[in-house]
Amino acid sequence: MSSSSTRRWFLWAAAVLAAVALASLVYTRNAQVTPEQSSSQGLQLAEALGGDTTGYTKALAPRAFDFPRDHAAHNDYKIEWWYFTGNLTGEGGRAYGYQFTIFRSALRPPGGTAADSDNSAGWAADQLYFAHLAVADIESRTFRSFEKFSRGAAGLAGSRIEGFKVWVEDWSAESVNRQPGEFFPLRVQASDEDLSLDLLLEEGKPIVLQGDRGFSRKGGGVGQASYYYSFTSIPTSGVIETDGAKHDVVGKSWMDREWSTSLLDDGQVGWDWFSLQLDSEQELMYFRLRDGDGNASWSDGTLVGPDGSSRHFETSDIVVSPTETWTSPRSGATYPIAWQLEIPDLDANLEITAAMPNQELDVSVTYWEGSVRVVGSLRGRQVGGRGYVELTGYGEGGAIR
Amino acid sequence: MLVAPLLWRASLRYLRQHRWLLSLSVVGVALGVAVVVAIDLANSSARTAFALSSETVTGKTTHQIIGGGGSLPDSVYVRLRTTAGMPTTAPAVDGFAATPAREGLTFQVLGVDPLAEQPFRSFVPSGESLDLGQFFSPTSTGLISVKTAEELALQLGDRLPLDIEGVAREVTIGGYLGGSETGQSDAALANLLVVDINTAKQLFDMPASLTRIDVIASEEEVQQLRAVLPDGVDIVAASTRSETLAQMTRAFELNLSALSLLALVVGMFLTYNTMNFSVVQRRPLIGRMRALGVTRREVFWLVLAEALFIGAVGTLLGLLLGVLLGRGLVQLVTRTINDLYYVLSVREMSVRPLTLFKGIALGVGATLVSAWMPARSATRSSPSTVLRRSAEETEVKAMAPRLALVGLVLGLGGALLLVAPSRSIIISYAALFLVLIGFALLVPVSVVGITGILRPLAGSVTGAVGRMGVAGISGSLSRTSVAIAALMIAVAATIGVGVMVSSFRTTVVVWLNNVLRADVYIQPPNLVFRSGEAELVPSLVEAIRDIDGVSASYGIRHVEVMTSVGLSQLSATETRETRGSMFAYTDGDPEAIRDAFRNDDNTVLVSEAYAWRHGLTRGDSLTIFTDRGDVTFLVGGVYYDYASDQGAILIRRLAYENYFDDRGYSGLALYVADDRPIDEVIGEVQETAGATQQILVRSNRELRRFSLDVFDRTFTITSVLRLLAVVVAFVGVLSALMSLQLEREREFRVLRAVGLTKRQQRRYVAVQTGTMGAIAGALAIPLGLLLAWVLIFVINRRSFGWTLQMDITPIILVQAALLSIAAALLAGFAALLLLNKRGEADGEQQ
Repeated sequence: MSSSSTRRWFLWAAAVLAAVALASLVYTRNAQVTPEQSSSQGLQLAEALGGDTTGYTKALAPRAFDFPRDHAAHNDYKIEWWYFTGNLTGEGGRAYGYQFTIFRSALRPPGGTAADSDNSAGWAADQLYFAHLAVADIESRTFRSFEKFSRGAAGLAGSRIEGFKVWVEDWSAESVNRQPGEFFPLRVQASDEDLSLDLLLEEGKPIVLQGDRGFSRKGGGVGQASYYYSFTSIPTSGVIETDGAKHDVVGKSWMDREWSTSLLDDGQVGWDWFSLQLDSEQELMYFRLRDGDGNASWSDGTLVGPDGSSRHFETSDIVVSPTETWTSPRSGATYPIAWQLEIPDLDANLEITAAMPNQELDVSVTYWEGSVRVVGSLRGRQVGGRGYVELTGYGEGGAIR
Repeated sequence: MLVAPLLWRASLRYLRQHRWLLSLSVVGVALGVAVVVAIDLANSSARTAFALSSETVTGKTTHQIIGGGGSLPDSVYVRLRTTAGMPTTAPAVDGFAATPAREGLTFQVLGVDPLAEQPFRSFVPSGESLDLGQFFSPTSTGLISVKTAEELALQLGDRLPLDIEGVAREVTIGGYLGGSETGQSDAALANLLVVDINTAKQLFDMPASLTRIDVIASEEEVQQLRAVLPDGVDIVAASTRSETLAQMTRAFELNLSALSLLALVVGMFLTYNTMNFSVVQRRPLIGRMRALGVTRREVFWLVLAEALFIGAVGTLLGLLLGVLLGRGLVQLVTRTINDLYYVLSVREMSVRPLTLFKGIALGVGATLVSAWMPARSATRSSPSTVLRRSAEETEVKAMAPRLALVGLVLGLGGALLLVAPSRSIIISYAALFLVLIGFALLVPVSVVGITGILRPLAGSVTGAVGRMGVAGISGSLSRTSVAIAALMIAVAATIGVGVMVSSFRTTVVVWLNNVLRADVYIQPPNLVFRSGEAELVPSLVEAIRDIDGVSASYGIRHVEVMTSVGLSQLSATETRETRGSMFAYTDGDPEAIRDAFRNDDNTVLVSEAYAWRHGLTRGDSLTIFTDRGDVTFLVGGVYYDYASDQGAILIRRLAYENYFDDRGYSGLALYVADDRPIDEVIGEVQETAGATQQILVRSNRELRRFSLDVFDRTFTITSVLRLLAVVVAFVGVLSALMSLQLEREREFRVLRAVGLTKRQQRRYVAVQTGTMGAIAGALAIPLGLLLAWVLIFVINRRSFGWTLQMDITPIILVQAALLSIAAALLAGFAALLLLNKRGEADGEQQ
């Protein structure tokens, strides 16, 4: 067993799942895919995905990253995402959590057959883009979530290297200065019905290459890995508008970038992923994949120091135990919403609690992704903090098998 | 009501004894009802099919964003989707495609973005879920209904060949539309081919534009959208287009319905005749019953009940027959709509309860109305006096002038309505029916007058038997005048419709001669003959123009545009041609009109039908929504044109290119140099087109012939209706003459007893029925011409705005007169034959 992020494989599968689900969704009256549908389609999907990586580039070994090129899409890999989460504070200390993610899923391998090549312009869609937006208003215990799909064609969705931008229709993350090589500050904008997010993300701690120099293994198999880097502490300010009321907010964001081609393990049913920002100016990334019995079959973690240096942890280095659960009235899924996290090496003992229980996304794929609070000790010092946790595979029978 | 059983038994016995007469009456009602029901079915089936297909495609769309020239740039959509806070939108590229897989099958191709579709439409692929990757695949994947796939024996993964404006294309079947969850019926989906928007863009060669953007928006949001849309792009209610299309056929349908009512009117004469006859025959019986204490009211209801019986049986048969007939007529109606208006496929008959109810109401109602008078007259049979036939006939004769007066009043009323300044087609037809009835009421007086003149004449030619025959006509005026009136109306309808169609045809021939001046005409195949919006492949246009021997060419472009008066056809014409004028104008100086049109970008011409439809005259202004935004044009002139009843706006090509981005051509006309045989050039054009596009290349003569073929085809249904009216009339005459001969039965026996030979009896019948036929024919000619006049100058004008030249072909009149006489003779002898058979049977019994 080796290291590295297997973090949102669920979402990876979800992406393709969405592709399949959508096809029927699109023409169905029901806007929602029922849990039964998603799981059965997920099943088909996982099988379909198993042998369907031909033609795609695989993540086989550490590579030299090339920025700003690598901030934009890598269409020769099957799946990719731009992941933003953060905890923000409004007037009077009102706390908000937000998640904004853009996913890219290739519909067919690059190049294609000769017959395809002259049709590649315009609206021809090789890439499916979709995005999730969720905001937790902790004080009022309100959680709103939305999704958006588009073809990566005709300018409807895509990514841009120079003057970086990634967008799905009117939802976007874009470099404000549009100067070559200047990634930050980023403006993140997304809105739907009664929710609107407009944030400015400014340069904070330097880039963190996850796993082995950004090469993040997913399992024992060849090519079962992704390229993965993060910005773990990004000073953030802006406006969150809910029900027509504008709230100025400030806080910290976390950004993850990951792209890959390979697949999930057959035995994995879901995963828990943590990104914690401590008031000691340290950040901790940790994930674990669960098997059918709920045991961690794979895990990985990184601690980022105040100076930006990072330390990588192996599977056995971190122990996480759920201490409390919550059952979603909407999906019926039971999620852990409090944990005990221990890192014996660091003499770390952290209590992680959901800022509010209901942070389950009401989108095509059911999962929990929410703001958390942290208290505890690290190397004998009292620490506190906020963070984000993602929980997948807790639904009826598990979302992915 | 003690006597009731007795009454009913008497009634039943009577009906059984006269079952031939009874059946004819039933047949008459049945035919009348059948024609009305069939037309209504055909119309409503066409309407339902249209509504279904537009609903399926419209879905929950409330508004549509459209461009000036029938398309709008992609960028408009992309900007709306990438701007926050915009209403829900979805792009669409649609059109029609024929398929070589089945003759006559036309798909409505709908190109959608499945990722934007969900709020708008739902066409669940039944069975396996569809792979979005495959749907998005560059190898054109399409979804069709399961039923259509079965009909075409297509499996998933099979290729469906398409023919789009003459260019061969294909899609791979990637899934099925339909399924119970969608709530979409098979009929709604039967002709639908759903493809990805990118596939549709390739199929219809629209690389950078969309047909429209569908929108779900409140009025407030529409205003918001309007504010951000660029010039040349507008937002309209989603129903705009389908309403425009539905209105196109309104006049056409209305005219068919009116013609179908004609058959019913003739059927009414028939019932009237039967009921009247039955009352007259039973007058002695009724008199005795009255003596036994049967009240007038009971007698009245008895007769009405009998009529109701005839009406009910006839209506029932009529409904069945109507549904059968409707199956045939719906094909004719659909074909005409496809020739003239829009692509429509009627997959199933929609037998609406309303149609059947209408048939029942008309059938039973008409029978009761026509039985009213006979029933009233039956109540006058007094118990004390047994009124003799002769007495009654004298009474009718005395009444004749009064009837004529009523007829004159009705006719004049109708005439006044006709000349009154109105545009209502319904009023026109109501007036026409008044005139018809008025004319029918004039028949008794005319019969008395004409037979008065003819009697001595007939006597000198055919002797006493002939004189008797003629005298018999006015002798049984109550009977004969009804038969003559029915025949007259049917024959007049034949004349009227015939003269109208031939006038129309002559007008079109003259017009074609004026308009078609080039040697060779080229166009892509159009699904709707009269619309002609299909586009020639651009490279082909240049190549054809360069062909050796083409001395001059001018191109035409037909597109649909939005104007201040609604969706309209705009034709952009190259005005290279200078040899005389192609067009004749309704008013104004032709030279001045032509100069303005050729030199002023803001002058357009409109066709007469267009001007009529939208109330435009020369000098009016007309705003056209162009790619440069709203532009106001001057109507420089109104030209005669018979190409389409929707009419068109004509614009100079240069002006069109100024205001629209489209550079396509829908047709080319070539002038061929004198030293080059036309056939050779045609061959070369075909060769140039090769496999690029299948195009129609016709010589002047061929196009002319083809145009007239289509013209004739569109009048097929009119001819069918005309024929049906004649059949009903024939049944009417047969029944009238039969009742007449039945009444004469005793008279004949007496005559036979005093030495009238069978031959003489035949002559008697021949003279009598022949004369009746001749009278009907003679009266039908003025009435028919009047009818033709009304159809040409009132109905056609009000329906379509056309000026037609009335062209009376003598042959039609001769044919009508002969038809009238032949029908009467035939009916007379058929009646005689039946009577003789009956007589023999009776003889044997005795």
